[in-house]
Amino acid sequence: MRRMLSFVLVLVFCLALGGAALAADTIKIGHTVSLTGGASMWGQSEKLALDLLIKKINAQGGVLGKKLELISYDNRNDAVEAVNVARRLVNDGVVAVIGPAQSGNSIATAPVLENAKIPMVVTTATNPYVTIDKRTGKVRPFAFRPCFIDPFQGTVAAKFAYRDLKARTAAILYDVGSDYGQWLAKYFEEAFTKEGGKVVAKEAFRSEELDYRAQLGKMRPLNPDVIFIPTSQKEAAMAAKQARDLGIKARLMGTDNWGSPDLIELGGEAINGGYFVNLTDLADPAIKNFVAEYRKAYGADPVLPNPVMAQDALLMIVDAIKRAKSTDGTKIAAALATTKNLQVTSGPLTIDPKTHDPLDKPAVIQKVDVATKSFPFVKKFYPGGK
Amino acid sequence: MFLQTVVTGLSIGGIYALMAVGYSLVFSVLSFSNFAHGAVIMLGAYIGLGLVTKLHFGLGLVVSGAMAGAGLIAIVNEKLAYSLLRKRKAPSLYLMISAMGCAVFLENMVYATIGSRFYAFPEFFKQSVLCLFNGTCNIALLDLFAFGISILAILGLHLFLIHTRTGIAIRAGVSDMTMCSLMGVNLDRLISIVFFLAGIFGGAAGVFLGIKYLVYPTMGWVTNKAYIAAVIGGLGSLPGALLGGLILGVLETFVSTYVSSVMRDVFSFGLLIALLVWRPNGLFGRDTGEKV
Repeated sequence: MRRMLSFVLVLVFCLALGGAALAADTIKIGHTVSLTGGASMWGQSEKLALDLLIKKINAQGGVLGKKLELISYDNRNDAVEAVNVARRLVNDGVVAVIGPAQSGNSIATAPVLENAKIPMVVTTATNPYVTIDKRTGKVRPFAFRPCFIDPFQGTVAAKFAYRDLKARTAAILYDVGSDYGQWLAKYFEEAFTKEGGKVVAKEAFRSEELDYRAQLGKMRPLNPDVIFIPTSQKEAAMAAKQARDLGIKARLMGTDNWGSPDLIELGGEAINGGYFVNLTDLADPAIKNFVAEYRKAYGADPVLPNPVMAQDALLMIVDAIKRAKSTDGTKIAAALATTKNLQVTSGPLTIDPKTHDPLDKPAVIQKVDVATKSFPFVKKFYPGGK
Repeated sequence: MFLQTVVTGLSIGGIYALMAVGYSLVFSVLSFSNFAHGAVIMLGAYIGLGLVTKLHFGLGLVVSGAMAGAGLIAIVNEKLAYSLLRKRKAPSLYLMISAMGCAVFLENMVYATIGSRFYAFPEFFKQSVLCLFNGTCNIALLDLFAFGISILAILGLHLFLIHTRTGIAIRAGVSDMTMCSLMGVNLDRLISIVFFLAGIFGGAAGVFLGIKYLVYPTMGWVTNKAYIAAVIGGLGSLPGALLGGLILGVLETFVSTYVSSVMRDVFSFGLLIALLVWRPNGLFGRDTGEKV
């Protein structure tokens, strides 16, 4: 019996050794993503897109002669949970991290990964302070992103409202508990005022609140041309319905968090004719191949923009590892900062070494069309007013 | 703007009142705060949603189906989670902790089975808005309907408690459970009926909440406002629940409109604290029993 036991122990030991040896043959990429919770629609699609790309890269021989291995953990779109996930990924020995997708979670995650000297490339976190440390004003050495940032997004929304929709007065309804909404409200107000328009009302609500009729009721007598609602699809849908209940006819405008397919199902007729800023568009010729591949593999459309941005993030990391010829976090980060004219899923990408944000990343405006249940493309904006 | 604020406040308050009734009913008999009531409301909303999307029922059937379903869930909840504790004469604090556990359990069960995504009811009243006073005051037909149903249901419950044998038995239980059972009342049955009634109100509230807002697993937490409404009115009192709900709804809307929407909860909870200092039993509360 005892001999049997020791045999089993030796066997287990060998297997463990073998497992460790095998594991060392892969390069582990961490992925912090909300697979459950309010943002799970994008999160799930993001993971599927990454699985697809990892398979493709591994089939072509991997990176530095090793296969890539994706480790995805659910951060439940919660800042505390995101920090836990980051610690787990550090313990797992990942060389770089993709995500999170939300600004608040990313700002919470950044210091953890910075201490561990592991670079992170967030997917759709658009707040400036994801890559810039707010206290010191210096760029965070280990934080990068492939998406545009909120000052640009807010400016695009304001310019579109003023120039294309000919709006002269605007009201803003935002979530005071979210970094995303609070800053976008500020950037929109600044840009809209600079264009020559006037923000007649700026009303806030607290996260998880459901009724905005008090705030909307305050806007109604001021009769704004547009109401800017930088929230996710859930709040936007409810605000739209309640605005119509109060008889408000103003046009509604939103940001990239609106771009979820269930926006139309949740908002119904009330959200019809609204406009929002997005990172990518299903009809964009640049991502045609990706969309076709995704449809073929999963039989559904990707939930944009996250899957595209996650692939961009992975391609940035792969390119950096190749150029650094190393899986050392500090070297990968240094290479990420000098990413130049890299062909990623959404098009060519160059990272600004001073801010770790992409240069020349365009934004698209989409319209909410309830009849066809889609978001038709309206206009593309480039930074620098092109 | 003033009129619109009053109308909006009343329509929010009507739903608070409907939810507060469930807390008050259970508290009046068992003297504990049934925090699982929020989860029952959430399940009621999901039942209603299932009836309308899968079976294409009309609004009347959806509301009654959700009421019946939520009522049964409330009974099962009591049988499984509270009745054993009750029979062992556990302090009401334990019942309350068990209730919190039930709320988290039910919520996570929905996460695991149905999923975390949001659902919306189809629009029963398509964009129908009533314009009053030359359009200075708008009210959605749904709000009017929900408000009417809330008031009627609470009135009906009041009549039921006063005029029927079961109602009299419940009121007897409220004043003294032991005495009531010595008089030959079947306590288990009585408590089941109380939970069923609370569940019925929860089901209706769930459907209205779902139509007005959205359906998702954590929607039950809105009921913490309803709980405050019940405490303001006096836990255990029906007119109290109604009045507390309306006061809270109107106050919140006025604070949001005329002070600041971010300050709203500072005022609601401030009101709660001030009221508890001034009248520890709420506006219509009984003098006995402790608040949990």
